[in-house]
Amino acid sequence: MTNKTRKVALTVSALSTLWAANSALAQESETIRELKSQVQELDQKLRVVERRLEFEREASSEKSKSAPVISAGAGGFSFRSADTNFVLKLRGYIQADSRWFIDDGIDANDTFLLRRVRPIFEGTVFDKYDFRVMLDFGSGVSSSAANNGFLQDAYLNARFLPEFQLQFGKFKEPVGLERLQSGANLLFVERAYPTQLLPNRDAGVQLHGELFTGTLNYAVGIFNGVADGGSGDFETADDEKDGAARLFAQPFRNTDNAALKGLGIGLAGTYGNQEGALRSFVSPGQQRFFAYRTSTAATAPNVEADGDHWRLSPQGYYYWGPLGLFGEYAISSQDVRQVGGGAGAGEVAELRHTAWQVAASYVLTGEENSWRGITPKRPFNLSGGGWGAWEIAARYSELDIDDDTFPIFANPDTSATGARSWTIGVNWHLNRNVKFNLNYEQTDFEGGDQNPITAQKEHAILTRAQVSF
Amino acid sequence: MKIPTPIKALLVHGALFGVVFVTFAAALKPVTLLNVSYDPTRELYEQINPAFARHWKEKSGQVVTVKQSHGGSSKQARAVIDGLQADVVTLALAYDIDALHQNAKLIPKDWQKRLPNNSAPYTSTLIFLVRKGNPKGIKDWDDLIKPGVSVITPNPKTSGAARWNYLAAWGYALRKNNGDQKKAQEFLASLFKNVPVLDSGARGSTITFVDRGIGDVLINWENDILLIAKKEHVGKYEVIYPSVSILAEPTVSIVDKTVDKRGTRGIAEAYLQFLYSDEGQEIAAKNFYRAQSPKVLEKYAAQFPKVELFTIDEVFGGWQKAQKTHFNDGGTFDAIYQGAK
Repeated sequence: MTNKTRKVALTVSALSTLWAANSALAQESETIRELKSQVQELDQKLRVVERRLEFEREASSEKSKSAPVISAGAGGFSFRSADTNFVLKLRGYIQADSRWFIDDGIDANDTFLLRRVRPIFEGTVFDKYDFRVMLDFGSGVSSSAANNGFLQDAYLNARFLPEFQLQFGKFKEPVGLERLQSGANLLFVERAYPTQLLPNRDAGVQLHGELFTGTLNYAVGIFNGVADGGSGDFETADDEKDGAARLFAQPFRNTDNAALKGLGIGLAGTYGNQEGALRSFVSPGQQRFFAYRTSTAATAPNVEADGDHWRLSPQGYYYWGPLGLFGEYAISSQDVRQVGGGAGAGEVAELRHTAWQVAASYVLTGEENSWRGITPKRPFNLSGGGWGAWEIAARYSELDIDDDTFPIFANPDTSATGARSWTIGVNWHLNRNVKFNLNYEQTDFEGGDQNPITAQKEHAILTRAQVSF
Repeated sequence: MKIPTPIKALLVHGALFGVVFVTFAAALKPVTLLNVSYDPTRELYEQINPAFARHWKEKSGQVVTVKQSHGGSSKQARAVIDGLQADVVTLALAYDIDALHQNAKLIPKDWQKRLPNNSAPYTSTLIFLVRKGNPKGIKDWDDLIKPGVSVITPNPKTSGAARWNYLAAWGYALRKNNGDQKKAQEFLASLFKNVPVLDSGARGSTITFVDRGIGDVLINWENDILLIAKKEHVGKYEVIYPSVSILAEPTVSIVDKTVDKRGTRGIAEAYLQFLYSDEGQEIAAKNFYRAQSPKVLEKYAAQFPKVELFTIDEVFGGWQKAQKTHFNDGGTFDAIYQGAK
């Protein structure tokens, strides 16, 4: 082989090798490109799947936002729409009481009883329209023509603005401070005497609201009108109507001044014309110590309301930490007539009865005292070591019957002309929903010497086991 | 019934007190308006609202706060029909506002005549956004139906932008095929074969394309695309104007039933009129909407390249007809999308 031939052969060989290498490189690049493209495609597919999952999560979250919410807690059981515009709450309370009168020699007054058994249905429709229906299945409560006892509350409250609300139906007249406190949050087993001179629940319409960011509450209403301490949802005695109004100020409510934050003072009153039956008055042990003369016999006296009726009640409370003070005064003026026969037939009079109370309480376990009840810091739990909240309380209350009431309108032998009661109590709040009350009360009566109830002092022990939700 | 004098006095004073109190309270109370809008207007109304609040405070002394709610245009209209208390609606298309009259009589039938330019204070159009370097070489609508091109557009059933996109593509296909509706439908069918996911609104599609990195091209509002390319992600994307698109006219209205109930008619009307003011138009233009004011449009002409635009009336005979043909149940979109899936 010549040199030339050898060179040519070497060149061809080198070129062949180069071509083969290039071809392999090109093939590899092509493969890398394909792989890259596949990776990109897979990456896109994965991203699409992830995005679709995101859609599903969003849809599921959106769905849960529009789902109604059912809840249960210390405040009761509720069912509400997702936008909170529609709410239905099931609440209520049961009070299992007992009354024990010490050495009174009177039969059939020591008893266990169901003082209040009240299911409550309340809620809201279209955001601003609240409703409430409260029934009472307590001992001795029965349905009547006027439905007074059985149907306690049934009303619509239109909350147009916090400052401007209109309430229609049957509810508590805006007068007595202790009356306006829920029966489930009472400091003692029974309310004091001022409540018996002021109206209970009545049918009517009321304009009310909160002014100055809740520091001033006002209420003005027109109602059928009820006798002192009475309830009604149907006017059977007359066409007249009562006006009722109340202003209650908590001037320091929104301040940081802890010592004054819990101060509230107010004034309430009613004015109207009342006719028909009058109510009797009872002691803290719920024993009747005063009654107007009543009879269906034509020759016997019968006393009825017959004319102007007005009431006035200054009131206030003060809460600072565990301490609570409470005071209320009531005066009730009522024109009455002896419409029956016998002595004093046709006699009329304007009778003014007065009552007042002061009460103090202290939460030994340090919880915040409040008009709206006490929430224990450590609910009672035998295994957990919590003992709930313990509260002690004392009260003095008087009721004075107008002297002109006797003897024509009431019998001085069987009715007392006044009653003075003091009460001490211990309240054990096991938790927000369960509490026990133990009260000892003593009442001195003036007059009524021939009535076994008023002829002696009333010494009574009152107990209550309560569940509220 | 004999009413005692004190009760009469109580009634009269109570009524007087009520009237005076309510009037006084209403006059002094700060007002809140709710503007229920479509997806990409968040940034626009975030600037409009404080500007209007200043304007209203200077004019009347009253403090106003405007709250915003955003979502797919049709979805938002549905929410208002279902009870969302909107004082004003600023939606992507007139058809969605029409629905407030048709389904719930919340507004009068002739609502669109109450404000200038058929109640459209600004306009826009639909264009493309592609990734930097335009890897798939997308230049016009035709490129969107090529195999392997992934197109991002929202769901025409819930999104106003999606319907504008759809009609823009349909209009292009009609023009290309001498008005042949069948060929236009085939074009859209091919396009939707390339759509991997359907978001419920335009903003969702933007998230899909930009944040999730899905797709080769996003069809969306011009204002949203310019916002992405020129402000939020400068240098990462390229804006493509197709040869032809549609003139989109987002419209606005007060919701009569709500404003009358809430006593906000005056302020709600003023809010919408503010959109037509020099200040309102300037804010719209700064947010890449095409202003109706010739003066403002001229000032911002540089940011809006010339593009041939057809109107919905010219090509589809108006929104009612377009909706019925294409987007109602059983319309062309249902046929196309069922086939594409």
